[in-house]
Amino acid sequence: MNHIARGTGRLRPGRVLFVLLLLVGAVISTAPFYWMVVASTHDNSELFQSPPPFMPGGRFMHNLVELEHSIGFGRVMFNSAGIAVVYTVLSSLISAMCGYALAKYRFRGRGLLLGAVLATMMIPFQVLLVPLFQMMASLGWVDTYQAVVLPFLANSFGIFLMRQAFLGFPDELIESARIDGAGDLRIFYQVVLPVVRPQLGALVIFTFMTQWNAFLWPLLMLNSEDKYTVPVALYTLIGQSHVDYAGLILGSFLATLPLMLIFFLFQKQFVSGLLGGAVKG
Amino acid sequence: MTERETGAGTAARAGAAPRRWWRRSTPWIFAGPAAALLVFFFAYPLVAGFYQSFTADRDGATTWVGIAQYRRMMSDPVFWAALRNTGLILIVQVPVMIGLALLLAFGLNQSWLRFRSTFRIAYFLPAVTMLVAYSVVFRVLLKTDGGLVNQMLTAVGLSEIDWLNSPGWARLALIGSITWRWTGYNAVILLAGLQTIGREQYEAAAIDGAGAVTTYLRVILPQLRPVILFCSVTSTIGTLQLFDENYVLTGGGPGNATMTPVLYLYKVGFEQLDFGYAAALAWVIVVVIGLISYAQFRFFGRDSSR
Amino acid sequence: MATNPERASLGRRTVLTAGVAGVFSALLGASGCATGGTAKKAGPTLSAGAAAEIKGKISVWSWDVAAKALKRLAPAFEQRHPGTSVEIVDIGYDNAYDKITVGLKSGKGLPDVLTIEGSRLPGYIGVFPGGLYDLTSLAGPHKAEFAPSAWKYSSDAQGKVFALPWDSGPCALYYRADMFEKAGVDPNSIATWDDYVSAGERIKAKTGKKLLIMDPQEDSMFPMLLQQQGQRYFRDGKVALSSEQAVRAGTLLKTLADKDLIAFEKGWDGLVAGTKAGKAATTPYAVWWAGTLTDEMPELKGKFGVVPLPAFDAGGVQTSNDGGSTLAVSGHSTNARAAWAFIEFALADTANQVSMLKNEGLFPAYLPALKDPFVTAPQPYFGDRPVFKTFAELADKVPSVEDSKDDPKARDIMWRSVSGILLHDDDPKKALDSAAKQVAAGTGRAIAG
Repeated sequence: MNHIARGTGRLRPGRVLFVLLLLVGAVISTAPFYWMVVASTHDNSELFQSPPPFMPGGRFMHNLVELEHSIGFGRVMFNSAGIAVVYTVLSSLISAMCGYALAKYRFRGRGLLLGAVLATMMIPFQVLLVPLFQMMASLGWVDTYQAVVLPFLANSFGIFLMRQAFLGFPDELIESARIDGAGDLRIFYQVVLPVVRPQLGALVIFTFMTQWNAFLWPLLMLNSEDKYTVPVALYTLIGQSHVDYAGLILGSFLATLPLMLIFFLFQKQFVSGLLGGAVKG
Repeated sequence: MTERETGAGTAARAGAAPRRWWRRSTPWIFAGPAAALLVFFFAYPLVAGFYQSFTADRDGATTWVGIAQYRRMMSDPVFWAALRNTGLILIVQVPVMIGLALLLAFGLNQSWLRFRSTFRIAYFLPAVTMLVAYSVVFRVLLKTDGGLVNQMLTAVGLSEIDWLNSPGWARLALIGSITWRWTGYNAVILLAGLQTIGREQYEAAAIDGAGAVTTYLRVILPQLRPVILFCSVTSTIGTLQLFDENYVLTGGGPGNATMTPVLYLYKVGFEQLDFGYAAALAWVIVVVIGLISYAQFRFFGRDSSR
Repeated sequence: MATNPERASLGRRTVLTAGVAGVFSALLGASGCATGGTAKKAGPTLSAGAAAEIKGKISVWSWDVAAKALKRLAPAFEQRHPGTSVEIVDIGYDNAYDKITVGLKSGKGLPDVLTIEGSRLPGYIGVFPGGLYDLTSLAGPHKAEFAPSAWKYSSDAQGKVFALPWDSGPCALYYRADMFEKAGVDPNSIATWDDYVSAGERIKAKTGKKLLIMDPQEDSMFPMLLQQQGQRYFRDGKVALSSEQAVRAGTLLKTLADKDLIAFEKGWDGLVAGTKAGKAATTPYAVWWAGTLTDEMPELKGKFGVVPLPAFDAGGVQTSNDGGSTLAVSGHSTNARAAWAFIEFALADTANQVSMLKNEGLFPAYLPALKDPFVTAPQPYFGDRPVFKTFAELADKVPSVEDSKDDPKARDIMWRSVSGILLHDDDPKKALDSAAKQVAAGTGRAIAG
């Protein structure tokens, strides 16, 4: 792939076509999102017109005030942020460490552990709800944040992601570091982890996203409105004979902003990995 | 899961006993927290769920019924319809999505491309959208009368499509909406994988005089194997556990055209309150997922250590 | 039986997993965390006692306007019974039953008072005996004060009462006065469903509007037509989906579809948007639809009116029911007496029930409240027609039906065959016969002859 190594900005027909396709795809990806922005600036009843509105209206502030009034939006954003940050830090670390062990060590129980990791991914969550809930209730953890966070700290998806990332890491580098006298933990933090920074970045984004958007489990665990997370609170806007669509869409739109921020911050890792640095434009 | 991965831990055989003990327990220092959490939080629910699949709630009491629930599944038309739908979605949707995601990742990895991070965010947006907004937006898009997609179709002279009320179109709409939601997500994972491939590899291929396509097929794709394996295994699991999208978009209809095993499991367990049967469904889903994942490991896993 | 995931991919390691898990499960089992659910036993019962016992904290799960209403009423209760405190939690409607079901199945983590819709009660009463307090001796004296159909779904087959009815959903026919006028049809002249169909043809010819909006996949119209004829999905424990009444309802829907009088729209938002856009001239629906019209379509003020439902035979029943909630005491409540006191305070009380109709649009199942001047007053939104009076007169005429814990299963199958009748031109009799067979096979019941 010549143009990767020495590519410059010259115009080529192939590239133009490619960029056009990329643009079309980007429009398809973002168009529904654009409509969310539009919808969040309209009155509930305007959304039901047909055709629905295409241009932003003037009700953004009004809807925002309504949303704060109806579900305490600031409060639940704060709750969600706290939970998601704690979860992301702990879970990413635990997942990366476990993935490393599974990829780079041979030890008794490795296959068993990998099997357990995959098994928790394979079993539909719906069937675990009742027994897991019983456990939390037995521990007296209903309506606490640790019940929301702890059961899923060992995130099988993350462990698997990191295992696959570490598999590609050359063993020779680990060996030479060891010969230089580095301990296992130091090798992990100083030699191996920097190389998989792109995947680590992806892991952080996914972990944060998973917790941020988690709905059913927090709904089951939390019994006080002042402890609600954003999705749980937003779902209370769906009533039996009345749905506050404007609030719902505005809330979901605002709730994606922190996710975009996290994505923006950590996606840099994709283009600055140690070995991958060569690909930087 | 090849056995060819050279374990770094086994390399240092010599040394005093305490050192050896340290060596032996090192892997568990890394894996311990995760292992402890998994055992503590999931061992019981997994076993409880398994046990439950051999029971039924009759007249308010939970009784042991042996394999009756599994037997019942064999003659349950909804279950088979759900399995067929999932198979269809799996065969069509997962390869298309992974292919698109690969193309996208390669594209977004090009150094000559401007506004790369803007593109990345644009393609990642669908994945971060909350389910509740996703459902509202897609229902506005897919409405038969006055929906945005149909308006575009009529604008270019085509006729309106009754998206959610005809089996074929409903499946297509579902496949489209899943692809819309998850392609960018997989592209991000693949992109991260691409980033760890060194420049030397590209240059070596270039020196050998390989063209762009050959480079990707011969050099890059094999390197990406573990990541592609990851994406296809997780996407396959995602499809076999499909719930969110059809729950909010079609509710499994029309008829059972977009019913999936997990949606059915949910209806059986949480609407019909038939927990034993739901648990049995869950374990059959697990077995199916396990078999397919195993096949994928065998197919992609060959060179995973290099 | 290959039922373990790891078995397929990981061979003998499975055995180890199972072993570890087994030990762990035994440990947990010892701490009283059994998965079996409740064994069959007599549920907790609450009977009359001294008023002095009413104190302490109670928590209540509810949603939407119902939660709002209770939050409004709670301070008055706390004032009447010093030493009590009531916490109302809005758990949202969309997944409320997931939360309640998990709690009932676990036997843990539930509040003192639960909001449960009438359609869900039979399932919970049937599957979780002991999950809800038996309120028979306390609620019994109120029996005559509540709409009979609502009382029916609040109690089990033996007449034991497990909840107190809150609001109810008597049905009538909403119509667009302007469209009827333009077509020269008098809404009061529609006495039977046959009249309704011919009125629809005439309206369509004159105005181009359809007669009603339906979701072809999950619509409440068919069950509504069933209840109008005095049945749900089972009769005397037997499957009644292929009964003469059911076929009559199916044939009516087929006629409406054949004559192209139905505008198909998906789901709740489709119905709201379609009504707002004036796609149809009528909506056969429950009383609470009035609230949706008022809230979502202020610009259509004065255009709607309400008449009783058309009957199947002249002089027959002209109403049905759709929706309606209850309040129940959770079987694990530690303050059941205060919980019941709160329920009685909120629901068996004319002033409170009327205030909930006024403020939150909850139409009382408590009959004395329906005599209130507010109910009989003209409604400005409906062109000063006294629409609540129409519903109030229908409320105690709603036929009672036999509910069962198998209703959800039957409903899913019913929806599929109704969808076939509406979309694929299926013959109603054949479609419903086949549905009845499926329900019989799925529930182990016989088909009613």
